[in-house]
Amino acid sequence: MATKYETVIGLEVHIELATESKIFCSCSAKFGGEQNDHVCPACCGMPGMLPVVNKHVVDLGMTAGMMLNCDINRVTTFDKKSYYYPDLPGSYQTTQWFSPVAVNGTVRINTSKGEKDIRIKQIHMEEDAGKLVHDDWTNTTFVDFNRTSVPLIEIVSQPDLSSAEEVVAYLERLRSLLRFAKVSECRMEQGSMRCDVNLSVRPEGSNVLGVRTEMKNMNSISAIERAIEYETARHIDAIENGTEELVQETRRWDDIKGKSFAMRNKETAGDYRYFPDPNVMPVCIDDEWFDGIKASLPEFPEVKKDKYITELGLGEYDADLLTESRALCDVFEEAYAECGMAKEAANWIISNCMKVLNRKQLTADMLDINGKALGQLIKLVADGKVGNANARKILDEMFENDIEPEKYAEENGFIVSNDTSKIQDVINAVVAADQKSVADFKSGKEKALMALFGKCMKELKGNCDPQILREMLLKTIQ
Amino acid sequence: MDREILRRLEKLNQLQLTEQEKEAFLAFYAKQENEMDVLNSINTDETERMVHVMPILTVVREDKVIKKYSREDLQKGAPETTEGYWQVPRLVE
Repeated sequence: MATKYETVIGLEVHIELATESKIFCSCSAKFGGEQNDHVCPACCGMPGMLPVVNKHVVDLGMTAGMMLNCDINRVTTFDKKSYYYPDLPGSYQTTQWFSPVAVNGTVRINTSKGEKDIRIKQIHMEEDAGKLVHDDWTNTTFVDFNRTSVPLIEIVSQPDLSSAEEVVAYLERLRSLLRFAKVSECRMEQGSMRCDVNLSVRPEGSNVLGVRTEMKNMNSISAIERAIEYETARHIDAIENGTEELVQETRRWDDIKGKSFAMRNKETAGDYRYFPDPNVMPVCIDDEWFDGIKASLPEFPEVKKDKYITELGLGEYDADLLTESRALCDVFEEAYAECGMAKEAANWIISNCMKVLNRKQLTADMLDINGKALGQLIKLVADGKVGNANARKILDEMFENDIEPEKYAEENGFIVSNDTSKIQDVINAVVAADQKSVADFKSGKEKALMALFGKCMKELKGNCDPQILREMLLKTIQ
Repeated sequence: MDREILRRLEKLNQLQLTEQEKEAFLAFYAKQENEMDVLNSINTDETERMVHVMPILTVVREDKVIKKYSREDLQKGAPETTEGYWQVPRLVE
């Protein structure tokens, strides 16, 4: 009988934290920018410069730890990881080795085989490295330190994952929780979420681990899925058919070729020669700091979803869409608190707000409008004070400026007028100018009425109750 | 410390030591090893880990962007720059 194999996978996930400034200096941590524009003597490794810890990095490190059910180390320390490469100018990375900010957590995932808890070994805070551009022409390397010292956390799982499906579920769960807690945008395409996969294969039931390889360079969740499937098959092939000798190494995934390639021999922990960084004193998290972060944690997405369905009467589909993003939930809850109409508030966000976001090429997490104002707008529409088309114009404006919808509607002539004499004047003028449509309607062409209706509404700039207009129009031409 | 470990450290630190320097390092580490043996002989099972030699904690700063330096100032001492990049010898093929 053919041997069955099981895959053993542990993940190291790097998350770029949502801070304004870098971890040890006050330079901007913003993605992009002109090369070497976000730099100072500290992050370009000039001698004598001392690091000063960004408090918000520790806030977010703790938040991530609490969201993943970790124990928080109340005294957490930074260490130097020796690393000679020009993307880190100090020749070391400041990271956490001996007392990381959070340890011993769990993340519960759902797959086709049911629920499973994945253990988190630790979460540590560290600085990112810079960007290198290799130039073949001059055989030199161009260095950009903008990303150097941008704050990261690395989430290290235990080797509890056993398939690509579980890995995808785990990463999606991490992304959802960390976005919800505003720890990071977790955008793989921008590199704010990066994942290294440690994988080995062994006969099912064996308790001896196989040769482990580490894979890098996957920039989407689907690429990670493909890489795991390829690497698992490569290991099994090597074990069964002796096609190659498996060695402990770091491999680079090439998504276009659909293959992994050896990069370099894996350094062992000893090679990095970690030692306490004497320039950064221990960070002590007192009760006040700890309790403040604990109190700021958001509800988990599934708790919100359940509440939206059972308490607010939303359908599962709407509740799912809203709870994909904390920003959507925040705007929804504010809008609902203002207008008291859950279904309408959900519809406005899911259809109209999402349309504007798509048009602006923004993600749901970037929804940044005043939820209370949205609630007021929904009320204006429900009360028949503003027509739908004009309400959408007001929404567009809300994406640009913090406006009061009713005031804006008044200033721009968007308030529905039920001044019947004005409506009648418009109807009379339209009917007089389009006798053909009137004749068509009288001869039984129902569509002709819509043409007249449309012309009247256009003249009235949408500021008319459609029901009143229809009734008055019918009365006039009959 | 022996020649093999020294060769490994040389490689990890991207250094090329002269024979004279190697001898000096070996002699230096031989002395340190005795010190290490003394330290290793002490029973620390019940001792709490010392996180820093000074009994002080760090200060933290607020998450605020402050731009104090221009790229041009920072690159004044650089041996070579190109279009705002520091330019360095290529390390990997």
